[in-house]
Amino acid sequence: MTEKSSDTGKRIAEELAKCNVRLVASLPDNWLMDLIDTIDRDQRFVHVRVNREESAIGLCSGAYMGALGSAALMGASGFMTVIYAITKINYTYEIPLLLLLTLRGSVGDHHKHHISNGLYLRPVLDAINMPYQIIDKPDEIAAISRCYHHTRTFSRPMAVLLTRDLLRGGH
Amino acid sequence: MNYVDCFRALARHRTDQLVVTSAGNSGQAWWAATRDTEATFYLDASMSLATMFASGLALARPELKIWAFMGDGAFCMNPGMLMVERSMNLPNLTHFLVSNRVYGATSNAGLPNVESNDYVAIARGMGLERVFEFRSIDALERDFAALSGANLQGHTFVVLEVEPFSPQEQKLEQPPFDGPELKFRFGRHVEARTNCDVFGYRL
Repeated sequence: MTEKSSDTGKRIAEELAKCNVRLVASLPDNWLMDLIDTIDRDQRFVHVRVNREESAIGLCSGAYMGALGSAALMGASGFMTVIYAITKINYTYEIPLLLLLTLRGSVGDHHKHHISNGLYLRPVLDAINMPYQIIDKPDEIAAISRCYHHTRTFSRPMAVLLTRDLLRGGH
Repeated sequence: MNYVDCFRALARHRTDQLVVTSAGNSGQAWWAATRDTEATFYLDASMSLATMFASGLALARPELKIWAFMGDGAFCMNPGMLMVERSMNLPNLTHFLVSNRVYGATSNAGLPNVESNDYVAIARGMGLERVFEFRSIDALERDFAALSGANLQGHTFVVLEVEPFSPQEQKLEQPPFDGPELKFRFGRHVEARTNCDVFGYRL
C-alpha cells in the first residue's frame, strides 16, 4: 500500500462514514485493494466480502429496508454482471443504492483486457439511465456524500466511478 | 409434501417473523397461505438474491427475526450465497430452501443435476452447522420447535422437500403489489416495529 493510496482510502472511508454508511459489501479489483483493506480495518464499518457482485446488490438493498446505510464496492467488470439485479430490485421497488466502481479501460489503465469496460461501462450506465459521478482527484472525494444523499432523495441507484489516478496515482 | 400445505404449516407456526420470498412459487404460496400485506417483502424474480436481501435486513435489524424463502432453482444460480451467509452468521436469519426440484416459476422446467443435488450436504460443506431438512408436514409439525430455537444460536438453513406445483396451483394469484407500494408497506412496518427511520421521514 502506498502512502498516497492509503490516504485516498482513508478519505473515501471517512466520506462514507459521514453518510452513516455502516455496511460495505465488496468484491475486489486491484485498484480497490487499498480501499478495501482500509474499510476492513475500520471498526465503523461492517465489511462483507461477497461471492459475486449481485450478492452485494441484494445485501445493500435489504439493509436499506432496515434503515442501515450501505455501499457496494466493485470493479467495472463486476458491475457489468449486475444489470439485471439492479433493474429488477432497485428500479422496480425504487430502492436507493450507492455503488463505488473502478473506471476501468479509461486513459491510464495499463491492462489491455479492460478494453470492453473502456468501451461499454459508461454506455451501459447511460442505457439504464443510471446517474454517475467520476472522481479523479482527492479534492473531489467529498462528492461521495452528495452522491449518497442523491440516491436517497431520488430513491434510485447511482454510481461513483473512481479513476486509476485517484486510486493508484497517475503514472 | 405439498408445497402450499407446507407453507400453510409454516404460517401457523409464524409468530412475529418478517418474511422475504423469492420469485414465483414461493411468493404465490406464501400469499395464498397468509395474504400478508405488511410484514412480507415479495421479492420478485431476483434470480437468487432473496436471502442476500434478507441478510442485509437481518444485519440492519438484529432485534427482528427474518425468514427468507428461496426455491432450489434460484439456489442453483448462486449457491455461493451460502458462503456469504455463513461468514455473516446472523442469528436472526433463517434461510428456507424450498426444493421442488424444478424451475417452478417457469412451468416446472427441469433443473440441472436434479437427481444428485444434495442441498444439506452442500450447506454442511460450506460450514453451516444449523441445517435441517423436512420431507413431510408431520415432521415439520413435530420438529418445528427446533427451528424456533434456531434464532438463538446462529444462522439457520432449512431444506423443505416439496412437490412441484400442480397445473392448478400454478394458477394461484401472484402477490398483486406494485414495487413502490410494497416497499412502503414493508418499510413502514419495519419502522413501526423498531422505531427506526427507513425513508428519511416518518408518518
